[in-house]
Amino acid sequence: MILYEHEGKKIFQDAGISIPNGQIVTTTADSLSIPFPVVLKAQVLSGKRADAGGILFAKDKAEYDAGIVTLLQATINKEKVEQVLVEEMVDIKKEYYVSLTYDTSFRQPILTFSESGGTGIENRKSEVFPINPLDPLAGLTTPFEESFLKQLIAAFFEADALLMEINPLVVTSKGEWVALDAKVKLDDFAKPRHKEWDYSPRSAPGHNPTKGEIEAKKIDEGDYRGTAGSSYFDIEGGDIAVLSSGGGVSLTALDSLINYGGKPANFTEYSGNPPKEKVAKLTKVVLDKPNINGLWVIGTVVANFTDIYVTLSGFIEGLKETEKLLGSKFDFPIVIRRGGPRVEEAYEMLRGVKDFDLHLQGEETSIAQSAKIMAELAREYAEKKGENQS
Amino acid sequence: MPRMTSYGTQIVAGVTPGKGGQEVEGVPVFNTIKEAIEAVGEVDGTVQFVPPLFVKGAVKEAIEAGLKFILISAEKVPTSDEAFMYAMAQESGASIIGPNSVGLLSTHNRIRLGLIGGSDPEKVFVPGEIAIVSKSGSMTAEIGLHLKNNGLGTSWAVGIGGDIIEGTDFVDFLLELEDDPETKASVIFGELGGTYEEKVGEFVKQGKIKKPVVALIAGDFTTKLPNEVQFGHAGAIIEGERGLPEYKRKLLEESGVSVAKSIDEIAPLLKTAME
Repeated sequence: MILYEHEGKKIFQDAGISIPNGQIVTTTADSLSIPFPVVLKAQVLSGKRADAGGILFAKDKAEYDAGIVTLLQATINKEKVEQVLVEEMVDIKKEYYVSLTYDTSFRQPILTFSESGGTGIENRKSEVFPINPLDPLAGLTTPFEESFLKQLIAAFFEADALLMEINPLVVTSKGEWVALDAKVKLDDFAKPRHKEWDYSPRSAPGHNPTKGEIEAKKIDEGDYRGTAGSSYFDIEGGDIAVLSSGGGVSLTALDSLINYGGKPANFTEYSGNPPKEKVAKLTKVVLDKPNINGLWVIGTVVANFTDIYVTLSGFIEGLKETEKLLGSKFDFPIVIRRGGPRVEEAYEMLRGVKDFDLHLQGEETSIAQSAKIMAELAREYAEKKGENQS
Repeated sequence: MPRMTSYGTQIVAGVTPGKGGQEVEGVPVFNTIKEAIEAVGEVDGTVQFVPPLFVKGAVKEAIEAGLKFILISAEKVPTSDEAFMYAMAQESGASIIGPNSVGLLSTHNRIRLGLIGGSDPEKVFVPGEIAIVSKSGSMTAEIGLHLKNNGLGTSWAVGIGGDIIEGTDFVDFLLELEDDPETKASVIFGELGGTYEEKVGEFVKQGKIKKPVVALIAGDFTTKLPNEVQFGHAGAIIEGERGLPEYKRKLLEESGVSVAKSIDEIAPLLKTAME
């Protein structure tokens, strides 16, 4: 989960790192307790906020009032601004960039810093040090105070952060180190051990979630048996609804489908043996859109412990419910390639389902072959539909 | 456990705190790894089926007890725990496979650790000369099946997991396979995100990996979706330009790795590479 700047700064503050005095403003009626001059910062998840007009300055009340109105009505990089962080101006003597993140080539966290901060950091020379979690300060040579480094590294591990970026980190004329910005990404896998994480649900940076994406996210909330829907995304212009399972298989499957000219309408992945109700709900989400010309249920044919009978029963249930709900006949081709525990029972059950155009596949059909068949059937269906309409 | 032992794996002890003194299918259970080793003598390694937040503690215990091989099946292990475990393993000369490993299987040595192969490993992994090293558990099996359906077989199959910090990466495993008489060539299954695939290219280019490698890299379609989103595995994330499948493929191809555009191309490429 990526945090808004003010949430990240709270973590810094709790770790003993100085941040400017600030206040969150959500309406023009909020009274301001920070003396002028102030800086107004739109709270959005995407970077390059300053370039997009998300940061304004106000030397008096008139400028502040105008600025707040502007920002609270603004959409920055597709994100609607709902909160503005208003902060005191800090007198800057020197700026730095510093970040901590995990790196796959060192298989450790790395500390990156640069002698100058601000926007355009990608193009400046920076230094990188791997951090050994067993001895974090060993071998580090940085311009920073040891106490600050210790606080930052401790905060990184204790908060289970995947990224902590301060750009800029500044030294004031009084010699104080202050984090003027905060980009913090937390590790979702660590959530069960952080009761204090009460952050509001949010989408990806620079992305305005669709109705389907919001619905899909709700499926996993409050029901932790397996996953179904957390990773759901609509794909614009697609006409093949996809229910895929397994991380690697899902990626391989969608690549193959596109390779054969198919147009997936969504990405999603369900795994870890989710109960019937969750699969039914996810089925509803993937089909609740116009112009579906095919439905592909794709997963490995050698699942280890997902109960195929249960998941495919949930799928058929969701299919029937959605058809009733939308009031349209589902006569598009449905290709199913699955295998694993109780697959014989599942396919026996599916062969008894007569109201849909089902195409059942097993281990004799590879993921790529299944993709090709799905793409061709969807194309034929779309052509036939076009002829009927003209 | 029956699935591992019936394949040929020798399980000499189980460890579950509080369950010491019990027996499961003839295998004695101990409260700690240390107690287990004292009772049964030296062991080759451990397979862990503990919940994600307990993995770090269990690995620490195993390393402190002197174990040199640890396979972690749990998924959703926090990344900071992985960093600590990797550092501990480096310091003590131990090897970790995983987290999020579907398991390790050798058709020639009849070893099966973890869940790999499901209820019927013989159906998926027939003995042969090809090693499968995969970030994805289900793709390990799919590739095994693909090899079988195309007249090839598997020597080793391992799921290395798709997390940000992998205890054993592609290169670690491929280097071991250089000395393995049963393996003639390898297939790697990689994904968007990270740099583990790129590293294979470097080692092949430097001549440190000499046996042929065929790579299948998935995740192209994700470029159509929002950036900085995780797809399935924790490490499957693109940040800016980094981690793009297209980039990985180009780099691998330039380094002398055969790159399959779809799973169906793997067997033909292997046959050409082994000629």
